Amino acid sequence: MSSPCRASLALAAVALLGGCDREERDSRGQPVTETVPAGATADTIYPGGPSGSTVTLSPKAAAYENNAYHIAQGQQLYGQMNCVGCHAHGGGGMGPALIDDEWRYGGRIEQIATTIVEGRPNGMPSFRGKLTDTQIWELAAYVRAMSGQVRKDAVGARTDEPSNTPPLTQTRREPIVPGEDATP
Amino acid sequence: MNTVQSVFGGQGAEGAQFLSLMTLFTVVTTIIYLLVLAYLALALWRRRRTEHTVESGDHAAEPPPQRTALIGWVALVNTGLIVLTVASFLTDRAMARTASSPALEIEIIGHQWWWDVKYTGADPSQSLETANELHLPVGVPAHITLKSADVIHSFWVPNLAGKQDLIPGRQTDISIKPTRTGLFRSQCAEFCGVQHTHMALDVTVENRADFLRWYRAGLQPAKAPTAPLAKAGYAYVMTRQCAMCHNITGTEAGSHFGPDLTHLASRRSIAAGTLPMNRGNLYGWVADPQANKPGSKMPTLGLEPNELHAVVAYLETLK
Amino acid sequence: MAGAVRWRLAALFICTLLATPAFAQTGAVTARSVAQADNGNWEMPGKNVAATRFSAMREITPANVRNLRVAFTASTGINRGHEAPPLVIGGTMYLVTPFPNKLIALDLTKPGAPTKWVFNPKPPTAAQGVACCDVVNRGAVYANGRLFFNTLDGRTVAVDARSGKLAWQTKLGDIQRGETMTMAPTVANGKVIVGNSGGEMGVRGWIAALDTGSGRVVWKAFNTGPDKDVLIGPRFRPFYAMDRGKDLGVKTWPPGAWKIGGGSVWGWVSYDPQLRLIYYGTGNPGPWNPEQRPGDNKWTTGVFARDVDTGQAVWFYQSTPHDLYDHDDINEIILVDMPVAKRMRPVLLRPARNGFFYVHDRRTGQLLSAKPYSYMNVAKGIDPHTGRLIPVPEKEPKVGRVVRNICPAAPGAKDWNPAAFSPITGVVYIPHINLCMDMGALEANYIAGTPYVGADVKMYAGPGGNRGVFTAWDPVHARKVWEFKEDLPLWSPALATAGGLVFYGTMDGWFKAIDQRNGKLVWQFKTGSGIIGQPISYRGPDGHQYVAVMSGVGGWAGAIVAGKLDPRDGTAALGFVNAMKDLPARTDAGGMLYVFTLPR
Repeated sequence: MSSPCRASLALAAVALLGGCDREERDSRGQPVTETVPAGATADTIYPGGPSGSTVTLSPKAAAYENNAYHIAQGQQLYGQMNCVGCHAHGGGGMGPALIDDEWRYGGRIEQIATTIVEGRPNGMPSFRGKLTDTQIWELAAYVRAMSGQVRKDAVGARTDEPSNTPPLTQTRREPIVPGEDATP
Repeated sequence: MNTVQSVFGGQGAEGAQFLSLMTLFTVVTTIIYLLVLAYLALALWRRRRTEHTVESGDHAAEPPPQRTALIGWVALVNTGLIVLTVASFLTDRAMARTASSPALEIEIIGHQWWWDVKYTGADPSQSLETANELHLPVGVPAHITLKSADVIHSFWVPNLAGKQDLIPGRQTDISIKPTRTGLFRSQCAEFCGVQHTHMALDVTVENRADFLRWYRAGLQPAKAPTAPLAKAGYAYVMTRQCAMCHNITGTEAGSHFGPDLTHLASRRSIAAGTLPMNRGNLYGWVADPQANKPGSKMPTLGLEPNELHAVVAYLETLK
Repeated sequence: MAGAVRWRLAALFICTLLATPAFAQTGAVTARSVAQADNGNWEMPGKNVAATRFSAMREITPANVRNLRVAFTASTGINRGHEAPPLVIGGTMYLVTPFPNKLIALDLTKPGAPTKWVFNPKPPTAAQGVACCDVVNRGAVYANGRLFFNTLDGRTVAVDARSGKLAWQTKLGDIQRGETMTMAPTVANGKVIVGNSGGEMGVRGWIAALDTGSGRVVWKAFNTGPDKDVLIGPRFRPFYAMDRGKDLGVKTWPPGAWKIGGGSVWGWVSYDPQLRLIYYGTGNPGPWNPEQRPGDNKWTTGVFARDVDTGQAVWFYQSTPHDLYDHDDINEIILVDMPVAKRMRPVLLRPARNGFFYVHDRRTGQLLSAKPYSYMNVAKGIDPHTGRLIPVPEKEPKVGRVVRNICPAAPGAKDWNPAAFSPITGVVYIPHINLCMDMGALEANYIAGTPYVGADVKMYAGPGGNRGVFTAWDPVHARKVWEFKEDLPLWSPALATAGGLVFYGTMDGWFKAIDQRNGKLVWQFKTGSGIIGQPISYRGPDGHQYVAVMSGVGGWAGAIVAGKLDPRDGTAALGFVNAMKDLPARTDAGGMLYVFTLPR
C-alpha cells in the first residue's frame, strides 16, 4: 500500500473513532442502581449566595446526554410511558410544552431527571420506583433532545408523530437562558 | 420436547405441500442433471475416440444419430419443465384452497424481540391475548394476520408452513393447517436487531379438546394470589416497574409495551424462547434480563433478594 | 320564523308569564323554572331542567341592543378557561371558577357588585395533572338555598347560598385513577346528579345521585360493565335491537377492557319531572385507538334515560357504536314538545358531537329524525330501521397508518358548549365548529393516572376554511333555517332571549348579539380574553334586564393560550393546537366577568 493511501486510511480511522462515544450501547447501566442526583435543585437562587460551582455537569449526565442509543431509547420510552399523552410530541397539552425555552423546574438534564423522579406540584406524576434510573436518564436525555439542547448528530432523524414536516428534534431551538445552561 | 425444527417435517398441510413440490423438483432436476453429466461424459469419451477423424477436415453436416439425440434431449427437458410448472400450479391452487376457509383467526404482532399473539373472532369478549406462544388445533385451517410494531420481522414455523414477513405499516397474512400434533418451534426469519436470534415462538399443535381447554383457561383473568410471598410479589409487580410495561388481565397492570404475562407460568419458555420455563430460569431472567438477552427492552431492575423471591413466587402463580 | 308551526309550548309559555307561577308543564319546562322566569333568576346553567337556555326577559331587543353598555365587571384572579355561567338568585350573583374552583358571591344590590364571600374548596394541585382539556368547571346549580358544584379532584360540594359556609362534601372521584369532575350538576327531585370526567385517562364512567340534604349517595350507576353495575333491570326497554341483550357492557368489549373503558359523564343532564326521568349522554370509549377494543363498546357514546329516584335505566340509544373518533355523546339534551307527523309528542333534541341532530321520543328513545347539521365524511347516515350509524370503512383509524381528512374531527361538529332553544321561533341556535383531522392510531398502554389514548391527531379547518359556524336549526322540519361562518371555532354556549336576541362569544373575545329571526349581527363588544362561557340574562335588583358572561379563554380549544403550549407541535392538546396556531396572537388568558345593561 502506498504511503499517502496508508496515511489517509489512518486519518479516516481516527475520525471514525469520534463516533464511538456517541454510539456506545450500554444496555444495563453502570452500575445498575445508579441514582439520579438528589441535589439537582430546581431553582437558581440560594440564600447566602451560591455554594461553590452550581453548574457542573455530572459525569453520568454527560454519558447520557449526547449518546445516540440512550436518546433513541428515551424516544421509545417517551411514547410507551405515556409522556406523549400529557406533553404531546413536545407541544404540551395537559402538561407544559417541552420544546420551548421555558422551564418551570429547570432545564438541565439533572433537573429534568429529578422532575421525572420526584414529580412536581401542579400535576407531574412521580415515577420513583416505576422506572429504572437508566430509563429516567434516557427520558431526560430525550427531553433535552426535543428542545434542541444536544448535539445534532446524536439525535434521531425520525420522529414518531405523523407529519410531513422535518422532525422537531432536528429543527433549531432556543437554548436555555445563559446562566442556567449547564454546558461548560 | 420440541420436534426438531425442520422444513422436512411436513407436519402442516402447507409444509407438506411444499415438501412434496420440493421433492418433485429435486427428483426431476437431479435426473436432468445426471443425464447432462452422463451426456457430457459420453461426449468427452467419444471425442477422444474419433479425434483423428475430425482432423481430416471433413466438415459435413452432423451425423443423424446426434440430431435425434438433440431432439430427444430437448423433448425430455421440456417435459421436465412442463411437469414442474404444472406441479407448481397445482400446489399453489391446493394451498389457496386451504387458505380460503379458515376456521380460526389469529393476529400476530411482531415486536423487538417478542411476539404478541391475539386470537380474534366475531365475539370480542371471547378474544384471547398471549405472548410468545401459539396453540393450534390439529386439522383446522388457521388464518394468521401479521403486523409489526417496529421493524421488519418474519414469521416462520418450518415444520408447518413457509415464511411470511411482518412489515410495519402493512398487514400480511399466512394460512396454516397443521396435520399432526406436536410441539414445534418458530423462529424470526428476518434480521430485526441485536436480539433477532432470541425471537422464537413456541407452537403447540394439539387435538381439539386440548386446544379448547387451553383457550378457556386462557380467557380467565389472573387469579389473586393467596400465599404471603406471592402476595408480596403481587404488590411489587403492581406498584413498581412491572406494571409499567406488562399486562396481566384481571389486575391493574394494563400496559402493552412488553409481553402479556397473564398465563406466563403455563408457557414453555421465557423471553421468546431464550430460556426454558422453570423456576431457576425465572429467577435468572427477572434478576438480570440484560445478562440473558442484552439489548432487550426489559431493564435490569436491581431487585433486592426478598423482592426477587416475592416476584418470582407471584409469577409462578400465573398459570 | 317557524312558519306553520305554532308551538303548544310557546303558547303555554306566554300564558305562564302572565299567569301564576305554580304551573306544571307537559315536561318541556318545569314549573320551577317558569317561576324563575318571573323572578328573573338564573339558577342552573341550562336555565331550567329542560335545558332551553332561554330567558323570558324582553327588555333588550334588536332595536335597542346597540346601546348596551357595561354595568360592572369583576375579575376572578384566575387565568384558565372559564366555562361556567354566573348564577343569579335574588340579589346575589355566584361565579364558579376553574381550578381551584372557588365559589365567589357578588352582591348585586350594591354599586359595582362587591364580593360578599368566597368559598375555596382547596382541591389538591396534583388534580391539574389529570385534567385532559384545561382545568375547567362547567358551573354550579342552585336548589333549596344551597349551591352545588364539583371540584377538579372529584368532590361534590354543597355550600350555603347566604353564608358561603360548607354544608357537605362527598368524595366520588379518585385522581390517582385519572378521575376528575368538571361537569355542572343537575338537581332533580331532591337529588344532585353528578358524573365523572376522564375518558382520556382510562377511567370507568359513572353517574350518581346524591341527596341534596346530606350528600349521601342515593344511587350510582356505571356506564360499562355487567348489568347490575349499570343498573339495568326489568325496567330497561331500549327501543332498538342493537341495544338489547344481557350484560352488553361486558360482552361488547375484549375481556376486562370495560373496566378502563370510559363512558364518563362530563356533560349535561336534563330532567323531565312528569316522566321522572333524567337524560344524559355518555362519553367516548377508551382508548381512542379502536383496534384495542373491538365490539360495540356499550354503554359509551350513547344516551341513557334513567329513573331519577332509583337510577334504573329505562332506555338507551347508542349514537356511535364502536366510536372511532372520540365522539362523546355528552352534549346538551333539550326537552320540548313538538309536532311529529302532525301529532304533538314529547321529544328531546340533541345536536350531537358526531354531526347528527337527533330528535327522540323521550318516553321510549325512538329516533324520530336524525339529520346532519354539519359536514361529515365518516358516516353515510343512520339506518332508520335499526337506528344504527352507518360508518365509512375507509375512514377507520388503523395502527401504524395515518387516516387523513376525517370530518368532523375529534371535537365533533359541536363539542360540550350547549345550544339554546327559543320557543318564540321554535328554532335551536347552535354555536359550533367546522374542523377535520388526520389521525394515526397507536397502541395505548394503560398506566393508571396517565393518559390512555393511543392516537396522534392534527386538526385543521374543514371545508370552507372557517373553523366556526353558527347554525339555526328547525327541529320539526329537520333543516337549517340560516347559518353564518366564524373564523375561530365557537366554543361558547348560546343564550336566547324573549326580546328576540341570541348572545354568544368568540374565542378572541367578542361578545355578540344576533337577531333570532335572521342571524344578523346587531351588537358586539370586545372583552379582554376569549369567551368560552355561558352567557346568561337576569333581572337585576333594579328590575331591569342584565346580560352577563365570563371572559377567559381556555378549554380544549383554547388550551394553546391557557396552557402556553407550543404551536410548532401540531399534535399538542390532542391535535387542537394545529388548528389554533393563530390564537395566541389574538387573545391572551384572563378571568373577568362582564355584565351589560341598557342605559337608564
